[in-house]
Amino acid sequence: MSLRNVTLTAVAALSFGMAAHAQTRTITVPMNEPGTAAPAPTAPGTTVTRNPDGTTTIDSTAGPAAADTVATAETPAPASSLAEAATAAETGTAATGVDPVTPQPTGTPGEPPAAPQEGLPAAATGGATDGAADAAATPSADAAPVDTAAPAEAAAATDGATEGMADAAATPAADVAPSADVAPVDAAAPTEVGAPAPDAEAAPVEEPTQSLAPASGEGEPATADAAPADAAAADAAAAEGAAPPAEANASPAADAGVDPAAAPAVEAGPAAESAPEAQVVPDAEPEPGEDTAQTDTASEGGGPAQPEAHTETPGVTHEQHIEDVAFSFEGPFGRFDQFQLQRGLQVYTEVCAGCHGMKQVALRTLADEGGPQLPEDQVRAYAAQMSITDAETGEDRPRVPTDHFPTVTGEGMGPDLSLMAKARAGFHGPYGTGLSQLFNGIGGPEYIVSLLNGYTGEEKEEAGTTLYANTAFPGGWISMPPPLADDQVTFEDGSPADLHSAAMDVSAFLMWAAEPKMMDRKQAGLVSVLFLIVLWALLYLTNKRLWWRVKHRPDVPGDGM
Amino acid sequence: MAGIPTDHYEPKTQAERWIHRRLPIVELIVDFVTLPTPRNLNWMWIWGIVLTFCLVLQIVTGIVLAMHYTPHVDLAFRSVEHIMRDVNGGHMLRYLHANGASLFFFAVYLHIFRNLYYGSYKPPREITYIIGMLIYVAMMATAFMGYVLPWGQMSFWGATVITGLFGAIPGIGAPIQEWLLGGPAVDNATLNRFFSLHYLLPFVIAALVIVHFWAFHTTGNNNPTGIEVRRTSREEADRDTLPFWPYFVIKDLVALALILVLFFAVVGFMPNYLGHPDNYIEANPLVTPAHIVPEWYFLPFYAILRAFTADVWVVMAVDWLSFGIIDAKFFGVLAMFGAIIVMALVPWLDTSRVRSGRYRPQFKWWFWLLAINFVVLTWVGAQPAEGIYPYIALAGSAYWFAYFLIIMPLLGVIERPEPMPATIEEDFNAHYGLAKHPAE
Repeated sequence: MSLRNVTLTAVAALSFGMAAHAQTRTITVPMNEPGTAAPAPTAPGTTVTRNPDGTTTIDSTAGPAAADTVATAETPAPASSLAEAATAAETGTAATGVDPVTPQPTGTPGEPPAAPQEGLPAAATGGATDGAADAAATPSADAAPVDTAAPAEAAAATDGATEGMADAAATPAADVAPSADVAPVDAAAPTEVGAPAPDAEAAPVEEPTQSLAPASGEGEPATADAAPADAAAADAAAAEGAAPPAEANASPAADAGVDPAAAPAVEAGPAAESAPEAQVVPDAEPEPGEDTAQTDTASEGGGPAQPEAHTETPGVTHEQHIEDVAFSFEGPFGRFDQFQLQRGLQVYTEVCAGCHGMKQVALRTLADEGGPQLPEDQVRAYAAQMSITDAETGEDRPRVPTDHFPTVTGEGMGPDLSLMAKARAGFHGPYGTGLSQLFNGIGGPEYIVSLLNGYTGEEKEEAGTTLYANTAFPGGWISMPPPLADDQVTFEDGSPADLHSAAMDVSAFLMWAAEPKMMDRKQAGLVSVLFLIVLWALLYLTNKRLWWRVKHRPDVPGDGM
Repeated sequence: MAGIPTDHYEPKTQAERWIHRRLPIVELIVDFVTLPTPRNLNWMWIWGIVLTFCLVLQIVTGIVLAMHYTPHVDLAFRSVEHIMRDVNGGHMLRYLHANGASLFFFAVYLHIFRNLYYGSYKPPREITYIIGMLIYVAMMATAFMGYVLPWGQMSFWGATVITGLFGAIPGIGAPIQEWLLGGPAVDNATLNRFFSLHYLLPFVIAALVIVHFWAFHTTGNNNPTGIEVRRTSREEADRDTLPFWPYFVIKDLVALALILVLFFAVVGFMPNYLGHPDNYIEANPLVTPAHIVPEWYFLPFYAILRAFTADVWVVMAVDWLSFGIIDAKFFGVLAMFGAIIVMALVPWLDTSRVRSGRYRPQFKWWFWLLAINFVVLTWVGAQPAEGIYPYIALAGSAYWFAYFLIIMPLLGVIERPEPMPATIEEDFNAHYGLAKHPAE
């Protein structure tokens, strides 16, 4: 008996290495395009300045690089003078800077930057006064170039947001969703999908998984009335969808889970028609409805209506292809790149927010050090673009920084992104140990980058749901249409906005959203490790001295030192 | 406390005498830290202090976490995120607590395997060993329930699977499972009672630890030779031992500091390394994760649980002999608990009169095979139950039982031990190249 076991165990031990090796997933070598890893504007000592015409100028101490990265070559003059103004403010000689810039908020015609303000959307002008203007108008030491840089980029983000979302909030009637402007779906999907279902009724049925519905759902005002309807829809979906998804997801095929879950959601009835709009528009967060959904299904984050789309069965039927990306925040000394986070926020706002909420993240944390670090007024302006149903009054009001990002649930909506960067496994090497995490990071952001880049263009239809081939998604077929395309987003700092760069930016942002205290943690870890190494060295020497006599002079037994 | 001749505390000042007359607590503390300890202890004897540190760390961080945590199905996940995002230092507290559990088990496994190699479980230390096993079981219960509290997907489904094990007991299984869960399925009642017990059990463990200390302070420490400290005279005892303070306290702290360097590197730089990504998805009773994997420290026993499927002849035989009462599922559950029980019975299964594996030439091989087997089971427990893995798990499980039930009893009869040093002093001096009988 025992001999047989020994043999078996020996075989087991031998096969350990081989099997572990076989388990390792394919990892491609880092394939950053040159320049994307560290775009010029993110270099230290760089000053990003917001121009009155809505463009951004990057003034880098590196000199020539600045010229390369100036977003708008046709407005070099105001750009440079603005940059000077900011610098002047920083050095304390504000007087020179005030003149050209103060006109902006006040409207006094100034010299170079007196350019018209139509580039600034209404919402942005309210709280988000131009960064450069701030710096110059208040010649205090606070207006350091770093501060200036932040709002500049922030304004970029806010701009985008305004185009996409503020409109929706301000005019709840017309071009509702961010996706209407953003057009990730309109632009990218239609060409591949074929029939993107541009009419309102068809949309939820044919495309229950993406924002086509909201995009096309014009004319449906996203009022508070829509919220209960939405909640009802969610509940109905819950009731109907309860049984099927449970079974379907237990089945090994990743894509099999999609259909039954989606189907009941569609069957949920006429209420579903008005639902999509309500969910996409940020102001339509149905607080009471959400609560109901929670108690009904004992689960938030979408509950039964959405597990279909992103239920994963890692590595069951499909070899995932996750590429390694060299993010700035990886490794023990890794730090978030503030500007990358701001760009990522812009991508999230313009593209992802249509279908994905981020309910765990408080808007105020956008101002936190180590994050995107938007100035307070920018955060207020950003928050105000989205509305929320006040828990006490029951009425809609604009969000304030202490509110969270919206909760997005319901048919066709994706999972919450608050923790996505930590909720997906990236790579597991070497040899399945996962130890490469120490230097390569947790892997979740890599998964997101790979997913956004992993669309092959193939698609198929299963039980009324279109599935898209994706090399990173477990199972190989995902119900989310390609959300992001080359240059779909325009970064005001001139950073490259090709698909891969934008995907990296939004992944970095989602990593921050999932782990906002990462830099604090790494610093605490580093200090602890250094302290403990010193402590260990001292203890080691103490111990050596203490035992020396025992080990070398045993004639002094058990002395009482 | 120990029967080893040594200095005992004597109250010297008036105040000390006043206290000593009423509560001899100073004596307790002084005699505790001056315990005569075999001077030849090697670096495998440091895990006790690491474990004590872990217990304190877990209780301290856990108490603070409990101040911010909400044990309710709708709020638990969110409250953990609240800790991670809003509570001052909350992210460090939580990561210290989560990884502290891993360090706790890492240390306890090395502690147990050190004990198995050097025969510390043998007379007269059986009670110390049994108490230790009880602590280990309580640790597993605590860790399991603690993992449920964040209310992620793995929390929920882990709880479902593990409590389902009790449901496999024929006849009374289903009522027991319902009683454990507080309902037909894992729900709010489950979360509440798990939170309550997760808070309670560490203090039970602390009490057991005190009994554990008490027991081995009575018998004295084992040591790498397995030879007892000479108690015939004070002088001889002094040559075999050194006082715990300062010699072993400082030595243990050296080791602890080094281990904490690694621990804080993990907490600071890769705190989610040992966790599962799925647990950052809020629990959803309607979506089953593709692979339900327990925490790494349960994997060896999880592998044993899964190893005995219905197509294994032993399982078929037992099924037939028990008239179908013990089916494959119940057999797996019995095997899993049995694996721990046979380990706890090793003081009575090992027939060798030699304590230390150092002087047992054949035992060494079987022991190291067991250690490797343990690692293999840990690894295979994380793999899907398909392909070659079930065979590996079965072989590993079989060896686990064979080691305790067959090899241990037989080896003591067959094996010829190697010559041992006469005293601890001799071993120590030989190691450091000192004269056998130092000049006096």
